[in-house]
Amino acid sequence: MTTPLEAAEPAAQAAGPGDERPTRRGTLQYALAKAGGALFSIAMVIVGTFFVFRLLPGDPVRNLAQGRNMTPAQLDLERRRLGLDKPLIDQFFQFVGDTLRLDLGTSYEYKRPVIDLIGERIGPTLLLAGTGLVIAVSLGVWQGTRAGWRHGSGFDRFSTGLSLLLWSVPTFWLGLLLMMVFGVGIGPIPGLFPFRGIESVDAPDGFAYVLDVASHMVLPCLTLVAVVYAQYLLIMRSSLLEEVGQDYVTVARAKGLRDDDVRRKHAVPNALLPTVTLVFMRIGFVVGGAVTVETIYTWPGLGQLFYEAVRVPDFTLMQGTFMLITVAVIVMNTLADVVYHVLDPRVRSA
Amino acid sequence: MRKWFARLAALGVALLVAGQGTTAALAQEPAAGKKIIRVGATQSMDSMNPFLAVRLISTSIHRWMYGFLTVPDSKTLAPSPDLAESWSTSEDGLTWTFKIRQAKWSDGQPITAEDAAWTFNKMMTDDAAKTANGPAVENFESVTANGQDLIIKLKAPQASMLDNPVPIMPKHVWEKVTDMANYDAEVYPTVSSGPYFAVEHKKDQYVKLQANPNYWRGKPKIDELQVIFYDNPQAAIAGLKNGDIDLLGRMSPPEFEAIQNDPNIVAWNQQGRRSAYLQINHGATTSDGKPVGDGHPALKDQKVRQALHYAIDKQKLVDEVQNGLAKPADGSIVPPMYQDFFWEATGDTKVTYDPAKANQILDDAGYKKGPDGIRTMPDGKRKLEFRFSIHTDTPIEDKLAEYLTGFFKEIGISLTTKKLDSSKFTEETGVTGLFDIAISGWSVNPDPEEVLATHLCSRRPSPTGEGGGTESFYCDETFEKLYKEQQKELDRAKRAEIIKKMQERLYTDAPIIAIYYTNDLEGYRKDRIASITPIPEDNGILYGGSSYWPFYTVEAKEAAASGSSAEGGSNTGVIVGVVGGVVVIALAGFLLSRRRKSTADERE
Repeated sequence: MTTPLEAAEPAAQAAGPGDERPTRRGTLQYALAKAGGALFSIAMVIVGTFFVFRLLPGDPVRNLAQGRNMTPAQLDLERRRLGLDKPLIDQFFQFVGDTLRLDLGTSYEYKRPVIDLIGERIGPTLLLAGTGLVIAVSLGVWQGTRAGWRHGSGFDRFSTGLSLLLWSVPTFWLGLLLMMVFGVGIGPIPGLFPFRGIESVDAPDGFAYVLDVASHMVLPCLTLVAVVYAQYLLIMRSSLLEEVGQDYVTVARAKGLRDDDVRRKHAVPNALLPTVTLVFMRIGFVVGGAVTVETIYTWPGLGQLFYEAVRVPDFTLMQGTFMLITVAVIVMNTLADVVYHVLDPRVRSA
Repeated sequence: MRKWFARLAALGVALLVAGQGTTAALAQEPAAGKKIIRVGATQSMDSMNPFLAVRLISTSIHRWMYGFLTVPDSKTLAPSPDLAESWSTSEDGLTWTFKIRQAKWSDGQPITAEDAAWTFNKMMTDDAAKTANGPAVENFESVTANGQDLIIKLKAPQASMLDNPVPIMPKHVWEKVTDMANYDAEVYPTVSSGPYFAVEHKKDQYVKLQANPNYWRGKPKIDELQVIFYDNPQAAIAGLKNGDIDLLGRMSPPEFEAIQNDPNIVAWNQQGRRSAYLQINHGATTSDGKPVGDGHPALKDQKVRQALHYAIDKQKLVDEVQNGLAKPADGSIVPPMYQDFFWEATGDTKVTYDPAKANQILDDAGYKKGPDGIRTMPDGKRKLEFRFSIHTDTPIEDKLAEYLTGFFKEIGISLTTKKLDSSKFTEETGVTGLFDIAISGWSVNPDPEEVLATHLCSRRPSPTGEGGGTESFYCDETFEKLYKEQQKELDRAKRAEIIKKMQERLYTDAPIIAIYYTNDLEGYRKDRIASITPIPEDNGILYGGSSYWPFYTVEAKEAAASGSSAEGGSNTGVIVGVVGGVVVIALAGFLLSRRRKSTADERE
């Protein structure tokens, strides 16, 4: 039983020397320290974003022309409109000021405020990536628990093998394959699910609309879950494996508890911690959407927006989506740290 | 107990879903009976505001929604009346008077010269309104309206006036717009003068257009035209095969081959509006004449460029790189689709594949072969090793590079491929001149003035390094003179002659070498589209041409049957899918509860 003690030491130091008892104040201090770190990271992201995107090659104005003919006078005009004629340092201060006011600028391509574009896309993204995350986590945790509990069984080998196979498959390829099989249909099998967008063109109203959206979510969700659930499965499986050999499990068994109860009430809660961290970290990425999946299935989310921005390239739009994704990841990581602190007494105190 | 509860719940869900599935089918019923055609597109609209929209998809849709002064004739592609029913020009060619047709906007208001005058004046006075079509009014001195007469005074004569790309907007609706730069024009129904008006736009999903009953040529034959956006071509092709869309244009050869043998699809393979060519860095300079970039000095020699031209087997490129779906170029940048302006080399000027002749030219000019088979400059200092710049992730360009490398090796010139992402590519081949040979191409409009202008001295980058839109860094006195001549020539036939001379100059001087004209590859569903007329009518383009003609003439197959089958199809999918899902869940639940029970039994 030395392992938990050792693991807890660095965290205990972070909570402040002399703070030996788990108090609410300790948690608050810890959370504030983490939040401070996160704020610093976000500030660095804002500064970094500006310069990284200025380093990209190419003249944004020419890229905007997209092969259309533009006279030099018109190119000048566009440059002035986008503020690209000003010195870099002026552009920088302008950028920082605007960003702090949540003004992410106007998209070069769509000629609309980036914040509006993001607002339109965040709903579909949260719906798709959020559902995908919930399903992937449930499936992964469920299969991982079973696989870990009966280590080496047929179920273990099958589920671990399958999830690893799917994990190794390129998302784009799997997406197209699913589209062909379940979208278009093969041989006598008709196309079962729509594979474009979030709703039908002549979408019905009411509850039928919910069904319509749900049917549009089947293939993107399936692709999304198939390629990522392996990580939850493997983490859950390995952390449960560690618990299986522990004394307290033996004690619980010795007490004559049912196998299911030993697993559910004793082993799993202890094994769940690494998964919780992973889930929180993934929630941060949910905001970024799933660029590939959204692109295959024309899902009108943030991933698709980012893809469009890179394709043009639309600097302000790239900056905006990039910052949103990074900030979301930072915030969620911080939250993960804090939640971990709250959940696991071993982290709080030695 | 638990088992039974699970089964009951599953049954309940299944019943609920089945019930709702029927209502879903009913909810879509009203759509049946309408004649709807769905067009797929692999781009989404950037803006509904024609003053701002630049993507091809947006300008195409706006062409279906708004009238222009003139449009290309459906047979000859020569300018023909649209909102302007007739026009005249003053003696000096500086004053144009267009007589605006007596017609109505889709909201019933009359279309007047005031509308046209407002549109052009807005662009001349508001910089934001110049975004989409700024160059079209650059030469305008003033625009005024007098009754149904629109009078445009020019700064200098301009023959391409009749290819004006500006859609005329309704003044009574648009004059209320104060901040044009940020106006997204998402107000429906739109007030339009073209065959259709927009009724709905779901961003990045679709646009719905309805037939305009007030359209001056008469209402289109179908009731609704939908444009459905796809993020990637594979999905769009799957959509066409599936019947989610009825027509898809602008395919690449591999995409086209995927639909070629589908019994439900008409594979449309016709001459296109695009030419592909090599740009050659023949000594790039900025607009003040100073050299820029690092082009190979040998390419400054017209003889070397000519030898490269002789070494290219264009027919082989068409067969192997474009899968036969193109036409070898014996002319310049204007493709044969534009009969009036197309120029083709004949007799002595014609360059045909002849590596022996290419070798001869280089030998005579003093480029001797070294022991490794690679030629050197006449002064022996530098080998003839060229770079070929192409885009990343374009398999067709990769293949092209492979073949060109082989061709040039035959004449003692080595070619290495340099792959660049598109923004870097544009920068190096259009501004900084860091290339030897680069791939390029252009979709040409019915009036070729625009593509010709990309070879003018004034289009070279400024001394401060800002791109001006050059395609070749070309600056040639003869070419400049001819360009100015054609601008003034109002007689179409005479002007065409001058434009042909310009192409001949590009062909012989070889700052660019045209390699092929790619075909227009499209597909549409036989079971949905009864007829559609391309532009030009004999063998032309359906989607992506400079006209609304195909989508004005399109006729759908019997509405009721087709409408309901498409709707029914997607609905069946939903129902089957949902029921299937429920069955799976129920089965899983059943197995799970059994399993739990059995394990419990085992252990207890």
